[in-house]
Amino acid sequence: MIGPLVKNGLISGGINTLAAVLIGILFGYALQRSGFTNSRKISAAFYMKDVDVPVVMFTAIVTASIGLWGMSLLGLIDLGKFYFLPSYLIPMIAGGFIFGIGMAVGGFCPGTSLASMVTGKIDAMVFVGGFLLGSLLFGDLYPIWDKFYNSDANGVFRIDQLLNVNVGLAVLIITLLGVFGSLGMRKLQYKFWGKHD
Amino acid sequence: MKKNLWDPIFGGIMIGIAIILTFYISGRGLGASGSMTSFAVWIQHLFAPSYTESSSYFSKYFANGVNPLNDYLVFMAIGIMIGSFLAGMISKDLKFEILKGPNISNKGRLWYALFGGILVGYAARLARGCTSGQALVGGAELSVGSWAFMFAIFAGGFAVAYFVRRQWI
Repeated sequence: MIGPLVKNGLISGGINTLAAVLIGILFGYALQRSGFTNSRKISAAFYMKDVDVPVVMFTAIVTASIGLWGMSLLGLIDLGKFYFLPSYLIPMIAGGFIFGIGMAVGGFCPGTSLASMVTGKIDAMVFVGGFLLGSLLFGDLYPIWDKFYNSDANGVFRIDQLLNVNVGLAVLIITLLGVFGSLGMRKLQYKFWGKHD
Repeated sequence: MKKNLWDPIFGGIMIGIAIILTFYISGRGLGASGSMTSFAVWIQHLFAPSYTESSSYFSKYFANGVNPLNDYLVFMAIGIMIGSFLAGMISKDLKFEILKGPNISNKGRLWYALFGGILVGYAARLARGCTSGQALVGGAELSVGSWAFMFAIFAGGFAVAYFVRRQWI
């Protein structure tokens, strides 16, 4: 069966919704088993004290990137039917910077806060409350920043286009970046905080 | 820190597989923040329906009379909570507690959590996604904006880490 299954009419919308729940269960299970329901573990990344968070992130990106690209080479998925995220570079960099500040202050990102909240972590419940307020703040005062939000629109803009290389080489580049980035960060962790912590 | 966790490489591969599955089945990525904003909008709509529906940003959540909670990412968020709860049950980590460093009060930690949550809630909308839907999914799609977003997260976190160290270290 060639994916995306729902867009190729191979499964119904109801099954697609069920898939959303099941994939969510896998995701939430993996977050908890990786220790990401613990705000101390997440925030430790910003002190290089425990770099598991970036290592998991890099590994997930590389796994998904190789998987999707490989499946398209094998003809198992039709990339033309994917939803590709558009790049609004400057608002995304500004948003990322504020997001990072919020993570170091609050100890969570959205997905980890949901996962942590249901295991009883009260700091996660309060963080989720803050998140709801923050996103309402953005939407209700939208006219103040709608120009900035829609600025620097680059459409779908991928690394292969940026570097003018083929997709396979771009996947290889981010794979190397992920592997050496993970190893480098782990090395810094051991250097600053020792091997046993 | 709790022992008996998954190896981070294994955890990353599992999350990577979850991303591949959403694309293979649904032709889109996974995400977490979108569902939380849908929920926030749904609550606001209970109290101020016409104000919310006429909002230039939130009106799209009600286009054609749909309920913002009837959304792919909301169902996924329900799954995330079920999955984490099950994992917490199996690993005996279901417990009401506040996690923090030794040098801050519970009340102090919760103020930080609230303020951090507000910043992340705002920033996730400005950046059109969060660590899941923007950084991981866009990163795998080779999106330049997503990679820039991810590096900016680390820049922001490292920039402020020193000032909030009392909370964690």
